[in-house]
Amino acid sequence: MGSVSTYFENVKNAAVTIFEGMAVTLSWMFRRPITIQYPDRTPEPVKDTLPDRFRGILEVHIPACTACSACARACPIDVILVETQKHPSGKGRLLMRFDIDISKCMYCGLCTEACPTGCLRHTPVFEATGRDIHNLVVHFVDGPVVPYKHKKGRPVPASPPPGDIVQALLKPWDAEYVAWSPGEFVERDAGGGDGEKGAASPGKVEGGATGSGSG
Amino acid sequence: MENALNKQAVSDDLMILNMGPQHPSTHGVIRFVITGDGEVMQRAVPHVGYLHRGIEKLAEGLPYPSFVPFTDRVDYLAAMFANHGYAMAVERLLGIEVPRRAEYLRVIVSELNRIASHLIGVGAMAMDIGAFTPFLHGIREREKLNDIIEELCGARLTYNYIRVGGVSFDFPQGLDAKIRAFLDTFEPLMEEFDRLITVNEILVKRCANVAVIDAETAKSYGLVGPNLRGSGVDWDLRRDLPYSAYPDFEFNVCLGRGFRGTLGDAYDRFIVRVQEMQESVKIIRQALDGLPEGEIKGKLPRKLKPAKGEAYGAVESARGELGYHVISDGTDKPYRVKIRAGSFNATSIVEHASRGLMIADLVVLIASLDVIAPEIDR
Amino acid sequence: MGDFFEYLKSQWSFAQEHPALAFFLLVVGYGIVMIGFFSAFAGPVTWVERRVAGRMQCRIGPNRVGPHGFLQWLADGLKNFLKEDLIPNAADKILFRIAVYPVFAGVFLTFVVLPLGPWIVGADLSVGVVYLLAVTALVVTGIIMSGWASNSKWSLLGGIRSAAQMVSYEVAAGMALLTAIIPAGSLSFQDIIEHQGGWPWQWLVVYSPATFLAFFVYFTASLAEGNRTPFDLPEAESELVAGYNTEYSGMRFLFFAFAEWANLYVIGAVITAVFLGGWRIPGVDIATQTNNIWLQFAGAAIFLTKASVLVFVTIWLRWTLPRLRVDQLMLMCWKYFVPFGIGLVVLSLFWQVLAAAVPTWVTSAISVLLTLAGAALVAGMFWRAWYNIRAGKDAPVYTWLI
Ligand code: SF4
Ligand code: SF4
Repeated sequence: MGSVSTYFENVKNAAVTIFEGMAVTLSWMFRRPITIQYPDRTPEPVKDTLPDRFRGILEVHIPACTACSACARACPIDVILVETQKHPSGKGRLLMRFDIDISKCMYCGLCTEACPTGCLRHTPVFEATGRDIHNLVVHFVDGPVVPYKHKKGRPVPASPPPGDIVQALLKPWDAEYVAWSPGEFVERDAGGGDGEKGAASPGKVEGGATGSGSG
Repeated sequence: MENALNKQAVSDDLMILNMGPQHPSTHGVIRFVITGDGEVMQRAVPHVGYLHRGIEKLAEGLPYPSFVPFTDRVDYLAAMFANHGYAMAVERLLGIEVPRRAEYLRVIVSELNRIASHLIGVGAMAMDIGAFTPFLHGIREREKLNDIIEELCGARLTYNYIRVGGVSFDFPQGLDAKIRAFLDTFEPLMEEFDRLITVNEILVKRCANVAVIDAETAKSYGLVGPNLRGSGVDWDLRRDLPYSAYPDFEFNVCLGRGFRGTLGDAYDRFIVRVQEMQESVKIIRQALDGLPEGEIKGKLPRKLKPAKGEAYGAVESARGELGYHVISDGTDKPYRVKIRAGSFNATSIVEHASRGLMIADLVVLIASLDVIAPEIDR
Repeated sequence: MGDFFEYLKSQWSFAQEHPALAFFLLVVGYGIVMIGFFSAFAGPVTWVERRVAGRMQCRIGPNRVGPHGFLQWLADGLKNFLKEDLIPNAADKILFRIAVYPVFAGVFLTFVVLPLGPWIVGADLSVGVVYLLAVTALVVTGIIMSGWASNSKWSLLGGIRSAAQMVSYEVAAGMALLTAIIPAGSLSFQDIIEHQGGWPWQWLVVYSPATFLAFFVYFTASLAEGNRTPFDLPEAESELVAGYNTEYSGMRFLFFAFAEWANLYVIGAVITAVFLGGWRIPGVDIATQTNNIWLQFAGAAIFLTKASVLVFVTIWLRWTLPRLRVDQLMLMCWKYFVPFGIGLVVLSLFWQVLAAAVPTWVTSAISVLLTLAGAALVAGMFWRAWYNIRAGKDAPVYTWLI
């Protein structure tokens, strides 16, 4: 192996490998790119293409929440705030506040695994922005609510499709920040002791859903 | 010390160049202070700590299972390994038996993750050498892997999938077939990738004989994983300290052989990564074929309260040995968690290996070590 | 231009009465048209480059501004216009400001000699090739100036690299051009073009094996001169952040980018003129083409097409290849290209002697064989690309604008 042959070997190698490389890039001129033109030019909304297990923004279906705070305890970074109070009548408790700070959440899923009724869940919603970071705290309860009581043999109140609840609660990105204040407590007689929520609560969106358990 | 060095550099008419922490090819926020004479460096001193988040300290305030999502952040390109190492350490502490199926699932996701991480590793190396296209071709394949893992556990990067005692989800319907389909297309595309960049003479010339790390030096600096194997040291935790279901599978440990230059040069490390992806494909195929039925989570007490003691669990991550040393004081929170990450040692060798290189070679060296900033700093 | 002026004089009485003024007007008018024309070339080339890069990287590329993103270059230009023109505090302010002009001028001065047709040329200098090599060397002055004036070490390194690279590759490029000039026997671009014919086997690139190889040497060397991958070391973004233009922003940065893309055209145009038959139309002799204004424009279109194909190849190379290291770059120049170039010049000289000695059909046969070799190269490339598509289990897609 003289150095002369190495010299020409180098030239040959360079030419051949560059040729091959160019053939690969050229071939991609005739192949379909894999870009997904998010957000506006996808065949269907990206939200609908996500797998069932996708861990997006959390939502809680309040009519099925027992206010047990297991989720808040499971969360390693204190994203969830569950506040309860004694019921004015002295019997049972009231769910005063249920906040999830989606700007802080790391979507690990530990809280949903801890939830006994499955009312806390991840949704395929993943778009949330805000000019004010406080707007990214989602308040799931507007006023004091009687928590759901789980009884053996009774199915948990059916919930709307995942994502609907939190989507309704997300503020537009440029919304002004308004400090949250709890609403009035409205005692409502929900059949069989089911927790019903205050008048302005998001549960209203799917009014009939809560009753489905008692049938 | 630093000042004295700089003073000396000034008196020697050397140029001090600050590379990073915002530099395109330092792979995250790392900073290198380069002392050199024009293009030729005398030394490059790495400065780390820009990404320190105190993950080890955070562990001390969290119950054992709650720390798993934080391990995702130790190595965001290969989070499965980070989960796995911690889970193993805690399992050893508690003496839990992990079901076979869970072990197999762990192996499958780990190897998928290894492919994803190596794709970024070799792609980023090609990009640092100036070829942008291979990087995006790597990203394209990795995207498919992300989709698969997303379907399995719901997240694309921070999986939180491998838990203490098992894994969090079983395979959903049809994922098995999807993984097989992916592997079938991945192999020809990998060959295409080789034609595009791996054999490219310019890349070979840029990497061969550059930043040679011989076996002795590699060992004494504590290099692990592909970096160590690139230097020809035959050491792979999957085979030599078998854990999980790895003893069930047949695979080769890829070693650097001085493919186009000296043993232990940047090109060897590049090739080792490329070959390891092919080995991973083999392992995944075997694991899918032999996937046993059964539970995916072992029997765990409601509250994890290991007895006083300590345990060490290490996995062969995409960046080498990723070990967790967990010390328990008998409460439900660890007393101390120490993470041993490959990138930290790999960064420490930069100063040694960069002597006499050119600035363009430093970029190659850093890329060939495949360091990742969060793993250095934790 | 001179011929055209004679023609004008015969047609236009004003030109007869005031020849100096008319000639001045003509030259200024031509200059304005050319600058406008090539600005309009350099802009869309940025779009083409980005779209091509996108497709090669399995992406799409800019496709939102205007039809298929075509107006992206205008949007980017506008953005750069509106940006603040930052000058670092510690910079050498005067040099920093004027550094862009040599770069710009170096590229645009070449348009004086680059012909588009028998009459469509700024000035058919008898030393056209030498002039071209001389003015392109201006670019390096600007780059060194900007590297030095920025007072940033990254810029300085970029400037130094650029100086070393351009000066060395000028030698290789000169040698390769010389190889082609020997058979043509003139340094004027028009003469070189007229020496060739319209059909591919009449081009200088296939005149002899020497010119065939010189084509590749010149192409590579001009890539190096134009700072294109695999020789884009002066602005190696993964090593030097952005090299000599790291500290530039706004309009000044735009000028650098603009010059770079205009330079792409220069690379393509020089090769077209010297090696690929320039504006010659297949089957039309020079006299006919000169006397018919429409054939002149047709020739210009042919010229631009050839140049555009070469521009595409440079873009294609850029998105395929990694970058050389600075010492390898020098090594490649002095150990490979320069000796090669010298060898080619000698070979070319011998060929001249040989060609005179053998019957013409021998040289013609060799030209045809070389043409076939070139065609085989192109066909082989497409075959390999087809193979890649099949191996990747993909169905080919023939729509380019997705
Ligand atoms: S997903 Fe994780 S971080 Fe988010 S609220 Fe649940 S436990 Fe907390
Ligand atoms: S969301 Fe679930 S875990 Fe949280 S308080 Fe309600 S029921 Fe309990």
